[in-house]
Amino acid sequence: MSGRAIVITSGKGGVGKTTATANLGLGLARHDRKVVLIDGDIGLRNLDIIMGLENRIVYHLVDVVRGRCQVRQALVKDKRFPHLALLPASQIDQKEAISPEQMRELAAQLKEDFDFVLIDCPAGIEQGFRNAVAGADEAIVITTPDVSPVRDADRVIGLLQNSLGDPQLIINRMSTQMVQRGDMLDQQDVLDILAVNLLGIVPEDEEVVVAGNRGSPVVLNEKSQSGQAYGRIVRRILGEDVPIPELNGHGGIFHRLGKLFSRR
Amino acid sequence: MAWGTFVQRLLGNKGSAGLAKDRLQVVVMYDRLGLSPEQMAALRKDIMETISRHVAIDSERVKIDFLPTPAEVTITAPVRRGRTRGEEPKQQAG
Repeated sequence: MSGRAIVITSGKGGVGKTTATANLGLGLARHDRKVVLIDGDIGLRNLDIIMGLENRIVYHLVDVVRGRCQVRQALVKDKRFPHLALLPASQIDQKEAISPEQMRELAAQLKEDFDFVLIDCPAGIEQGFRNAVAGADEAIVITTPDVSPVRDADRVIGLLQNSLGDPQLIINRMSTQMVQRGDMLDQQDVLDILAVNLLGIVPEDEEVVVAGNRGSPVVLNEKSQSGQAYGRIVRRILGEDVPIPELNGHGGIFHRLGKLFSRR
Repeated sequence: MAWGTFVQRLLGNKGSAGLAKDRLQVVVMYDRLGLSPEQMAALRKDIMETISRHVAIDSERVKIDFLPTPAEVTITAPVRRGRTRGEEPKQQAG
């Protein structure tokens, strides 16, 4: 088998890379795909706690690369889906503890056993970013509709285009109310600036915080808006043609009229 | 809610999103160009000198804009009257 290795990156920190990685991983596993998640954020391990797997870590990424254990020994199996596994980051090493070449080899090895290798990239564009990208065949860039994440996303897209080609974009934490009020960039604004393919939009949702608290990512909560959004993104990754719905209320007659008057 | 928004818009309250987009377009363009302010000034000087070699322009009012989507450079240079084409331009002091 040769799986797809996808890096989830953003440039800016705190926009939802780790949350997205966890949700996409669980979502793909629910579609019966074999999935492994790599926490690429060496020194600031977080994917384990978002996934609710923090108490079961024995070995980590740096142990594997250094040959202190077999890959199989370091993989933490998810209790909910036996064909979903996490390769945790080391909490005590530096980003320089591994090289892009080692990451490439590791990803190639994992692609033999898994349909999807999702790599959670650390913030920034330094060594940690280069390592995470080196292991990937394709990239998903995540941003929120705010000025600094969009600016950083543009920078990261430029860097990715040199190696992996055009990434796909997820816009996270979109607030319908703020868009309607004209106080938040809408999807078209973001796409006008970044000019990449839109993979999906995740609405602002308090359930994401609750999901983090519980270690049970929101994609498992069918009732939540953000969980449904991740569910649709997963189906798009699997090649299904799932339209991107307009957010609640967005696109109403008053909004459209308002837009006519307010924009050039 | 929607009515309120609509009325606000009619009254000219545009919200901050348009401003965010305008500012982002400028900053992203400069990020992509990767030019320092000094390099920008040098580029501007080169462009003006090149144009002045052939056409009399009002150098004070030359505008050079870099636009992100579609990516393009626009140069607006007001042409001065009173000098025929091909005539030797006056040397600038300094």
